[in-house]
Amino acid sequence: MASIFDILNFSGKGVGIGPVQSVDEMTVIPLVGEDSGDVASPESLVFEATTNYGSMVFKNEDSKPAIVPTNYMVRGRGAQDHAMAGSGVVTAGQRKTFDTACCIEETQGGYLSAQGNEEDVLPVDLRRSLLNYGKRTERHYGKLWSSIKRWLQGVGVRTHAAHLRDFYDDKDIRSALEEFAAEFEPVDGQIGAIIMFSGTPVGLEIMPTTAHWDAYWQQLLRGCYGSELVRLKRLGQVAPSTLVLPAIPEQAAPDEVKIILDEFVENLQKEVIPVIKGIAINGDRKISTDGNLETRLITTDTGGGDVILQDSKPIYVSLVL
Amino acid sequence: MTDQLQLDSGMLQYVPKGAYYEGADEQFNQVMAMWSDLFTHDRTLFCLTSLLGGTGFSKGAMAHMLLSSPQTITGTELVPEGLAFDYESKVILYNLDKERTPRALKNLLMLAGGEKHRRVNNARTRRIILQYIFDRDHVALDNLAINYKGKLKKLVRHALGKQDLFKILNGDQKLFDKWIGRYHANAMPVLCYLFDRELAKDEVHAYFPKIDQVLRLKAAAQAGDVEEFTKQMKGLPRLTVMGYRNTYKIPVDLDQVFKKSKVSGRQALQMETAAKRQGVKLEVNYKKQDIYDLWKALYHKLQSGDLENSDKIVDAIGHQSERKEKLNIGKVAVVIDASRSMQGSDKRPMHPFLTSLSILSILDNIESVHYVGGKNVRVADTLSAVIPSGGSDLWRGLVDAVLTGAEKILVISDGYENSPKGMFEHVYKHFKDSGYEFELLHINPVFSADAQQGSVRRLTEDTKPLPVSSYKYLETEIIFNRMIENKDMVKQLLVGKYNKLIGG
Repeated sequence: MASIFDILNFSGKGVGIGPVQSVDEMTVIPLVGEDSGDVASPESLVFEATTNYGSMVFKNEDSKPAIVPTNYMVRGRGAQDHAMAGSGVVTAGQRKTFDTACCIEETQGGYLSAQGNEEDVLPVDLRRSLLNYGKRTERHYGKLWSSIKRWLQGVGVRTHAAHLRDFYDDKDIRSALEEFAAEFEPVDGQIGAIIMFSGTPVGLEIMPTTAHWDAYWQQLLRGCYGSELVRLKRLGQVAPSTLVLPAIPEQAAPDEVKIILDEFVENLQKEVIPVIKGIAINGDRKISTDGNLETRLITTDTGGGDVILQDSKPIYVSLVL
Repeated sequence: MTDQLQLDSGMLQYVPKGAYYEGADEQFNQVMAMWSDLFTHDRTLFCLTSLLGGTGFSKGAMAHMLLSSPQTITGTELVPEGLAFDYESKVILYNLDKERTPRALKNLLMLAGGEKHRRVNNARTRRIILQYIFDRDHVALDNLAINYKGKLKKLVRHALGKQDLFKILNGDQKLFDKWIGRYHANAMPVLCYLFDRELAKDEVHAYFPKIDQVLRLKAAAQAGDVEEFTKQMKGLPRLTVMGYRNTYKIPVDLDQVFKKSKVSGRQALQMETAAKRQGVKLEVNYKKQDIYDLWKALYHKLQSGDLENSDKIVDAIGHQSERKEKLNIGKVAVVIDASRSMQGSDKRPMHPFLTSLSILSILDNIESVHYVGGKNVRVADTLSAVIPSGGSDLWRGLVDAVLTGAEKILVISDGYENSPKGMFEHVYKHFKDSGYEFELLHINPVFSADAQQGSVRRLTEDTKPLPVSSYKYLETEIIFNRMIENKDMVKQLLVGKYNKLIGG
């Protein structure tokens, strides 16, 4: 059984682990490395509209192919909010309709336009609902409604249907999410991250370039992981932070303190490697080929997600763990 | 008062431009809560604190709050001994006079619904608006009118109301004297200029040379008379000249416009790059600029890669740093947070970091400086700089500072720590428990709506952060700190300040 480590080919791709950032229950382990993949800049990709329920249209204004991040979510006023069922590839200069998208605001009518939207990535637990190949490729706009209803249960948000926006629009939640995203910062050369809740890995994201990470990190940390953590906290289902700061012997001199803390930080980084090594792949299925880009849906024991390969080399990874 | 009030000098330093993490609206609600608390608790103290150094926006919003509610002589609104009965109006006018004119006008426009404020129109606002505009000498009024025609028009219309304005413009001398003439008896031509009215030809009017020149410039533009336009633009505000040039498509070289028209020193610095893009060279006297503006200009050059005159800016920063009255807090090791969040918001890029550098430029007795995070960028053989980047392992800076043996350690940081969170306090406690004797000071240049107490985030439980959004507001911060301990003393001190600055 292959390890995710083999796919990532960390050493070959030159991906390293950056200084760990940890705030309360969440830890973000930055993945740093050189840009890989000959793809369009994130600014070249624009969400244009929904043309039908379950159909999201993106336009790529670049001469290279563009990647739509996995489960990209668009919320707009007076229209049915939508999310992608997986990742997407829009080839050079193309306008592409993804007709397997999900409506995420059950009783709201109307189509989204390009302007005045809020964009995020689906919460990590809802992403899990879309890992099944059948569900992922199903053309049924209401396919996520039952999961959304279940997801919203007990979080204390006033809602009467599968309206994900009721969660994001709640004043207290909105403010908690802003504060949450505020705690983390991208580091130099960052192309991705491993995200952990109380010491357990919940997600792994790798973008093709630092520009892509810069463009999407807040939507991932806020919309996807932050929202899940806020929800779990409200449900009282999040374990307390497992990070214990290192003991510093009394009377330790400043230079000794520095050595102790440097070692502590280094160990935090080292501890991540076996965690990733332990993620075994037990399923791998091709979703699509667009030019020299191939999208594959992989599954692991606990989750899975999308890997996009360019000329057989992985350039984009988005996994729920 | 500390039991009921959660306030700090951040309430005087607010600018509605958001931060790296927060939008302006969230922050506004937080600061508005502070204003309301102090206003309800002690209106006099609220008013007098606005005499301290602070941002134009804060002072404008505070004045708006004072003017929205009538000053009665009951309860907490009693005028304390040593103050004139109309001290509020005097304080408001004093603050307007101290402000840069564009900001002062924006503050008055808040009363007309500007910057998301509610419209307020009563006898006091009317008087204050008209007094600010017209109570000035002939030359100053002439200049004000040609530089800020649009804003003045809005303000006068708001203050007088449509009906009175109509009557005054149509010759109601009694009304004119009542509202405007009392401040400037000959101001009728200014009023006519603002509202594009012809002056009555059968009457003798005062001559306002600049207004006259602008009218001639406009006539030349309308007639497409390039020669006359070029002649008339000499010495007029650049924006006015550019406006007519562009509206009427007058073929005059930008170079000529820049050479002949006038612009303030600060505007010249701000327009330098834009002018260069148009192929026009602007002469800027860097040595006369504010130290913050100089740092801003330098970083703009570093980031744009256009290094022309950067050596002059560096010299000017040195010059201003020597010239400024230094703040001496004893020998100090400074830790500067250069993590990504110190880049600030899109609306005010680099503000927290530039504030840190400006504070550093006016501090005396600096023994060492330690940057945490950041990226060192070398742009030329003699020029390199730190650009905010990466995470915030602030503990590293603390250890380095303690290693120097400094008695005072000043940390300038937004208080967001993530590598990991809590490590700074963990290390700080270790040193304190181990008997290391140093005083920790934390200056925080970033307003934070999610601060547990006050307006900014703290790094350790026992170190109250000093919110300082501009190096100019250190005095404000110090006075606020005293207010927490002794409100009456501070009130007395502010009454003294009022009498010294305004009197009467």
